[in-house]
Amino acid sequence: MTHVAAILSRFVATLATRSRAVAGLCLAMVLGVLTTACDEPPTSTQAPVLVKTEPGTLIFHPSTGPVEVTLVNVSDQPVRVDRPRIDETTPDWVAFTVGEDASATQIPAKGSITFHVGVEAGYFLGPGDARPAVVRGGEEPEPTAANEFREGKSRLVFSVDGVPHTGMPIRFEDPSWVTQYMLPALVKILLLVLGFIMPLASLLTWMERKQSAMMQDRVGPNRANIRIGGLNLRLWGIVHFIADGVKMLFKEDFIPKRAHRALYNLAPVFAVAPALLVFAIIPFGDGICYDQLFQPLSGADVAQCADGRGGTPLQVAQIDVGLLFYFAIASLATYGTALAGWSSYNKWAILGSLRASAQMISYEVAIGLTIVGALLVYGTLEPHALVKAQETTYWGIVLQPIAFVLFFTAGMAETKRAPFDIPEADSEIIGYFIEYSGMRFGLFYLSEFIETIFMAAMLATLFLGGWGLPFGMLTAGGFSSALAATLFLTAVGLGLTVMGVLAWRTSKAGELFGAVVALVGVLHLFGAVYAAFTGWGTAIPHVLVVVLGMVIWGGKVFLLCGVQLLVRWTLPRFRYDQLMSLGWKGLLPLSIANLVITAILVYLLMPGLTPAS
Amino acid sequence: MTIGVKKVSLERTTRDQIFLPAILEGLLTTARHFFKNTFSPGHGDVDTIRYGEPGVDPADYYPERFRGVHRLMHREDGSVRCVACMCCSTVCPARCIYIEAEDRKDDAEKAPHSFVIDELKCVVCGLCVEACPCDAIRMDSRIHMPPSELREEAVLGKVELMKRGGPSVAVQGGLGADYREQAPKADPRFSHDPH
Ligand code: SF4
Ligand code: SF4
Repeated sequence: MTHVAAILSRFVATLATRSRAVAGLCLAMVLGVLTTACDEPPTSTQAPVLVKTEPGTLIFHPSTGPVEVTLVNVSDQPVRVDRPRIDETTPDWVAFTVGEDASATQIPAKGSITFHVGVEAGYFLGPGDARPAVVRGGEEPEPTAANEFREGKSRLVFSVDGVPHTGMPIRFEDPSWVTQYMLPALVKILLLVLGFIMPLASLLTWMERKQSAMMQDRVGPNRANIRIGGLNLRLWGIVHFIADGVKMLFKEDFIPKRAHRALYNLAPVFAVAPALLVFAIIPFGDGICYDQLFQPLSGADVAQCADGRGGTPLQVAQIDVGLLFYFAIASLATYGTALAGWSSYNKWAILGSLRASAQMISYEVAIGLTIVGALLVYGTLEPHALVKAQETTYWGIVLQPIAFVLFFTAGMAETKRAPFDIPEADSEIIGYFIEYSGMRFGLFYLSEFIETIFMAAMLATLFLGGWGLPFGMLTAGGFSSALAATLFLTAVGLGLTVMGVLAWRTSKAGELFGAVVALVGVLHLFGAVYAAFTGWGTAIPHVLVVVLGMVIWGGKVFLLCGVQLLVRWTLPRFRYDQLMSLGWKGLLPLSIANLVITAILVYLLMPGLTPAS
Repeated sequence: MTIGVKKVSLERTTRDQIFLPAILEGLLTTARHFFKNTFSPGHGDVDTIRYGEPGVDPADYYPERFRGVHRLMHREDGSVRCVACMCCSTVCPARCIYIEAEDRKDDAEKAPHSFVIDELKCVVCGLCVEACPCDAIRMDSRIHMPPSELREEAVLGKVELMKRGGPSVAVQGGLGADYREQAPKADPRFSHDPH
C-alpha cells in the first residue's frame, strides 16, 4: 500500500514539478470535460422529432438505381405515418419516384419501415429546357450544356400523426471523374502511404531491433539522438531509423560488373511496388461524408457515402474482386526477388531467388485456399463488404479460427522473414539481394517490412473486423450503446494509464512520455464515467467516428506487426526441406480440410444459402 | 564409478508435430521477457553495463587484469623506468611501439629518448607487458582508449604515457640470482602428488 502511495506521490510530483506544461494540459482537459459534463441540455421549444429518416439526405448519381429509405420511429409510442411522397413545390420533383412499397402505415415504437425512392436520370440530361410543369417557389435550375447532367434537388415529405414532417432533402448530382474518384483517391493514397505505411515501416526497422533486444535481455539501439537547442532527445533510440536512412542513401551504390544492369536496377522497384500496391484494397475505415462531418450520422448515411454518393469510402480502390486483385499483385513480388537474384550474376543470389520463388509460390496456394473459407462464410470478395459483414455477424477469427492460424503462418512465409527466411538465410547464402548495396538494398529491406504491415492489415481485415470493435460496438453513429462506450473508454483508459505509469517508472527519460500517456488514459477514464452517467456515446460527430475507426484499425495493425516481430524473434529458422514439407504437406491439406468443413457447415447451418430456399 | 547412459527419446509426439503448443509456449516466454524488460525500472533482467553513460564508471566493472591504455611506470626519482631494451617493440605483433634509446649516464645505462605507441594499431594483446623485464610498461590503467577524431591524438608519446604511470615498487632487474630460494613455497594443495 505504501508502495502505491509512494508511486502516486511521485507521479503527482512529476506532474507538478518536472512538467508544468503537462499539469496545465491536464487541468485544461479536466476542466473541458467538466464544462461539457455540466452543460445544460439544449431546451428546445419545438416538438420533439418522432420519426427520423435514414439516410438524412438522399443523394442520387445518374447511374444510381432505386435507393432504400428507412423511416425510424425514435419515440416510445407507435406513430402513424401517411404515405411518403415527393414535395411538388420543389424544382425537380417530377424526376423522382417513390416506390410502390411505400404506404400509409403505423410504425411501432422503436420500429421502422423501408421503401424505395428512384430517380429518372434522363430528366436531368440535356440543355436544361425540360422543366417540370408545375414549379411553385424554389429557384430555377441552371441551364446546362447538351448531354451533361445538371444538378437538381427535391424533397421527400410525409406527415407523422397528421403533423407535417420536415422531410428528407434529395439531391441529384453528377460529379466529374476528377472530384469523384481521382482527388479522393490521391488524398487517400498520400494519407495511407506517407501517413501510415512508410512511417510505420521505418519505425518497424527500429522496433524490430529494440523489441528483439528486450526479448533477449539486451538493451538494443539507443545511441542515436537529436539535439534541439540544449535538449538531447534520445527517445529510446527511435531516431535510429533516420540515421539508417541517411546511411543507406550515402553508401556507395555498387553494381557488379557482369550484372544485367537494366534488370538489376529494376528489381528493387519490382519488390516494393507490389507491396505498396496491394494496400489499395485495404479498408481503413467505413466511409467519410464530406458535408456532414460534425453531426452524428446513421448507418444508411455512411453507407451512402461509402458508396461514393456525397462522400468516399476509406479505401483506395473499392473493387468487387478485391482479394483476387491482391493475389494478382502479390504474385508480382516474386518477380522482384527472382530478377534480383538472376540479374546479380552471383550464384548465392540466384540460389536465394530460386528459393524465394519456390517459397512464395507454395505459400500463395495455402493463402488462397484459406481465404476461400472466409469467402464462403461472408459471401464477398470485397474487403470493405467483408468488414461490414463481420460487423453484423461475428469476426473471422471466431468463424474461421483455423484459417486464421493458417493465414498467419502462410502470410509470414510470404514476407520472407524468419522463421521463413530461407531466401535470405544469413548463415548460408545471404540471399537474393547479396549484391545490392545502399538504398537499393534498403528498398528490399523496407519492402519486407511493408509486407509485414500488409499481412497485419490483411489479418485485421479478414479476421479481426477491420476498423470495428467486437460485437459491433462501434457503429456509424458512434458506439452501439452507452455501455459499449463506457466499456471501450474504460479498457483504453486503463490500458493507457497502466502503460503510462509503467513507462514513467522505467527511467528518467520516460517520465514525461509516461506522464502524458497516463494522463490521456485518465482522461479516457473520465470519459468512461461521463458516458456511464449521461448515456453519451451513441450519437457522436461523424468525424470523430471516422478518426476512432482509423485509430482502432491502426492499433490492430500495429499490434499484429508486434506479434509478427515476436514470432520472428522467437522461432528458429526452418530448413529448406522442412519449409517445403510444411507448406505442401502441412498448410495445404489443412487449408483444404478447412475449406471442405467450412463449405459443409455453411451449407447446413446458414439460412438462405441452401438450394431449397 | 560406471558411466551411465541417459536415453533420450527422439520420437516426435503428436504435441511436437502440431507445433502450435510449443510455439505458443515459446512466444509466452519471449513476451514475458519483453514486457518485464520494457516496463520495469532499470530494464528488468537486462544486465548490460551502460559504459559511457553518466554515473557509470567503467573502472567499477573492469576486472583487475583488464588491458586498457598503456602507461609507463616511474622510478623513485620520477624518471622513466624503461631501459629501452626493445623487448616490447620486438614482441609486439602489431609493431606499434617505436623506441629510440639514449644514454642515461647512471647504473641503468639506457633510457628511451622517445617512446611512442600507436594505439590505433595496437591489438591490445598485452604481450608488451609480459615481455617487459622491469615492469616499465603496464596496461592496468583501466581506461578504455577513448575515440579520437585525429589520428595523431591516438599516437601516445613518452610524456603522455608517463602521465598515467606511477612509481613501481618491483625490484629492478627481477628477484636476483637466488630467486628460487626467495619464491614462496608452493601451495601443497595444488602440488602434483604422484601417489
Ligand atoms: S598490447 Fe600488444 S599490440 Fe599493443 S603495444 Fe602491446 S604488444 Fe603491441
Ligand atoms: S620491454 Fe620494458 S624496458 Fe624494454 S623497452 Fe619495452 S618498456 Fe622499456
